[in-house]
Amino acid sequence: MKRFIAVLLAAAMLPLSGCAPLSLTGMLPYAREIEDMELVRTLGVDGDGEGVTVTGSGGTQEGENANLVTGQATTISAAVLTMQSQGSSYLYFGHVGQLLLGEELARRGAKDSLDYVLRDVEMRLEMALYLVRDGTAEAAMEAAAQDGSATDRLEALAEDVGLTADTTTRSVKDVLADLEDGGASFAPAISADDTLTAAGYGILKDDALVGWADQEAALGINLILSRVDADMVEVAPAGQASAALRVVGARSVIRPVFEGKTLTGLRVECRVEANLAEGPPAVDDQRRQALCDALAEIERERIQAALDLAVTYNADYLGLCRAAALLAPWHKQALLDGVEMKDLTLTAQVEAVIQRSYHADG
Amino acid sequence: MRDQQEKTVPHPRKQPRYDGPLTMEGLERIFSDCVDFTRRPVALEGESACTLTMCFISGMVRMERVSDYVLKPLAEDDGLRRCATVGEAMKRMEEGALYNLSVARRSTLDQAAFDLVAGWCLLFFPGEREALSFFVGTEEKRSVSAPDNETVLKGARDAFVESLRTNTSIVRRHLKAPELRIREQTVGRQSATLVDILYIDGITDPALVDALEEQLRDIDIDGVFATGNIEEYIVPAQRTPFPLVQYTERSDRFCAGLSEGRVGMLIDGIPLGYLTPAVLGNFLQAPQDKSSSWLLATTLTLLRYACMLLTLFLPALYVAMVTFHQEMIPTKLALSIIAAKQDVPFRSGFEVIVLLLAFEILQEAGLRLPQSIGQTVSIIGGLVVGSAAVEAKIVSPAVLIVVAIAGIAGYTMPSQELSGALRIWRFLLALLASAAGLFGAIIATAALVIHLAGLESFGVPYLTPFAVSAGKEAREHVFLRRPLPQIKDRPPALHPLNRRKQR
Repeated sequence: MKRFIAVLLAAAMLPLSGCAPLSLTGMLPYAREIEDMELVRTLGVDGDGEGVTVTGSGGTQEGENANLVTGQATTISAAVLTMQSQGSSYLYFGHVGQLLLGEELARRGAKDSLDYVLRDVEMRLEMALYLVRDGTAEAAMEAAAQDGSATDRLEALAEDVGLTADTTTRSVKDVLADLEDGGASFAPAISADDTLTAAGYGILKDDALVGWADQEAALGINLILSRVDADMVEVAPAGQASAALRVVGARSVIRPVFEGKTLTGLRVECRVEANLAEGPPAVDDQRRQALCDALAEIERERIQAALDLAVTYNADYLGLCRAAALLAPWHKQALLDGVEMKDLTLTAQVEAVIQRSYHADG
Repeated sequence: MRDQQEKTVPHPRKQPRYDGPLTMEGLERIFSDCVDFTRRPVALEGESACTLTMCFISGMVRMERVSDYVLKPLAEDDGLRRCATVGEAMKRMEEGALYNLSVARRSTLDQAAFDLVAGWCLLFFPGEREALSFFVGTEEKRSVSAPDNETVLKGARDAFVESLRTNTSIVRRHLKAPELRIREQTVGRQSATLVDILYIDGITDPALVDALEEQLRDIDIDGVFATGNIEEYIVPAQRTPFPLVQYTERSDRFCAGLSEGRVGMLIDGIPLGYLTPAVLGNFLQAPQDKSSSWLLATTLTLLRYACMLLTLFLPALYVAMVTFHQEMIPTKLALSIIAAKQDVPFRSGFEVIVLLLAFEILQEAGLRLPQSIGQTVSIIGGLVVGSAAVEAKIVSPAVLIVVAIAGIAGYTMPSQELSGALRIWRFLLALLASAAGLFGAIIATAALVIHLAGLESFGVPYLTPFAVSAGKEAREHVFLRRPLPQIKDRPPALHPLNRRKQR
């Protein structure tokens, strides 16, 4: 007991010894009271090649208009330090949930920004990544802060992914892993106006933004990723009344196409499930088949649009080869080593099924 | 060798306490200035006519017994009158001429003195070096009633009382097995308290009985006036705040412990029964667990374990997260805490420690005051002062909630001693967490685990069966209660001689 008390007292006295590097004070975490902090919840990074502008959106109260803090410097770290010097509260980045990259910065290269998130002790790799289309992150966040905050808008957008089928969320970790594995990736895009609405996807290749996947191609990406929970598609089979179909699910597999031992292409096989939402009831098989065929064609075109972008930019931004290698692991080497997307024929094959109708007649 | 003994035993207990031959004068010397010491001459008629001397301590004997069992036969018994010598009369009395159930021949002053204190009366015969001692003690005691501190919903209500012999009789009524053994020792130089060791022969590990007996034999104290006078001497209590001996007011629980293979201990003057060995899990079992549905009992036991962790770690985790690891708090909760702590002048660690202290003070005040006032103090302290402190921005509501939850969770502990130990460690954890965050909390937790792992109760590791393999289905005895018909064996950690408890 005496020995225990002696050790305890000695440990308590250690910080007073003056030997800071040797004492516990050098090892212990640094205390900072939560009430002295301002939680940054959305971070925007812009750059014009000469410097970097970092914008933080946060606040201490839920639901109030966001406080914006901006810092400019030649590096992100320095810009963040500049932000810290503004105001009395400590800006805490441990709760950043969204990272916005301006288009110009993304076109010049997104790797530095993503690397900063990777290295920073406070930030999490799980934060969602968005690319601001036709504008800067700062402008978008300022516009959103006029009534609410960018955080609220983006959180609502993420929560509504299943309902709108506009876009899906991607974390910094996902994008970094894709860039590391295949040299290309994609991230959801948002408009630069105050509404921060979904604007398709941005395609990243070699760490930089190379192009956008617009409405149809964006929906095609969702289909390839099997991430469609609810999407309304209006179809008009030849010679029949039009109908609105609610796509409630999609399941895709990517199969490699070989000629002999040579990889010649990839085929996306997608099964789409839909319900008849509006229009005359599908009373017979012929009507139902016509609706299915029409839906399959529309969805095939969407997938093909997304695949065409991979060929156009010569970037496997959807990880098609990796997905195909999982399905045919014996061809793993051929699928993962030095494949050029522009040399492959990418095709889509869609099967549509109408499961039920919301109509009272069935 | 002698030096060594003097060093370890500076004030050895004198055995026997009173040397010398048994004489009336010797007893008078021992009980000089004792107003309750009474001597009375008794004339013995007949052939061996002489005057006997009776002595006793007033208040310790029951007068009717003295009159009816001793004096009346002395005056009326014809057989005694026919005895030729005093020695013959003495032998006849010892063999049943007097009506007492208990009679003993005493030859030493020491025995006689302690007999008098225990409620015996002594009869001296002229010319004889020995005396006869008759038990005529009063048996004034509180009547057997329901336990005050252990609620009985379904079960026996004959709680232990202060009288040792009454308690052993209660146990005998519950455990009618003739194999129930009761050994007795006297503890305390001044109190000379009787301490009984109870066990069931053929079930209990004899080593446990011997160990307890040895511990009791080694106790050399003034008196047994509080429970700690025995508890702290038979277990390494100076090393830990955690209880290592289980006590109960309930005789049924005590007997259930004996039938499991544990050793029981009853102390004269203390209305409690002690059970050894006791491990951590025993203190988280409530007496009514075995009267409830096994599902309910298991759920409640799990809840108690959760509450134990909550009361222990919640303040420390709060301090660590709010001061050091804000990233661990969900964003919306963090925003709520920030809003709640705005304008509060104190640091979170200080707030928690002060509130924990305030909680302890309120609790202590409530306990020390009479019940009606105590409740008022608790209400005023808890509600009025608490809400006023929050409104005045002296403490934040979040801290108040954290401390209150931790405090209330502590009340779910069936054992007050365990609850007290957890409170002490809660402070330590909160202090270290406020100094070094989770790092400190983990160090304190590691210290706690090491501490608990180092404890033993009569050779049984305290963390049995969590940290020690204690055989098949060991956890069901302290953690999960399976349906009673399925619990076939006694706890293996107790090394019972007969492991099977039912068909």
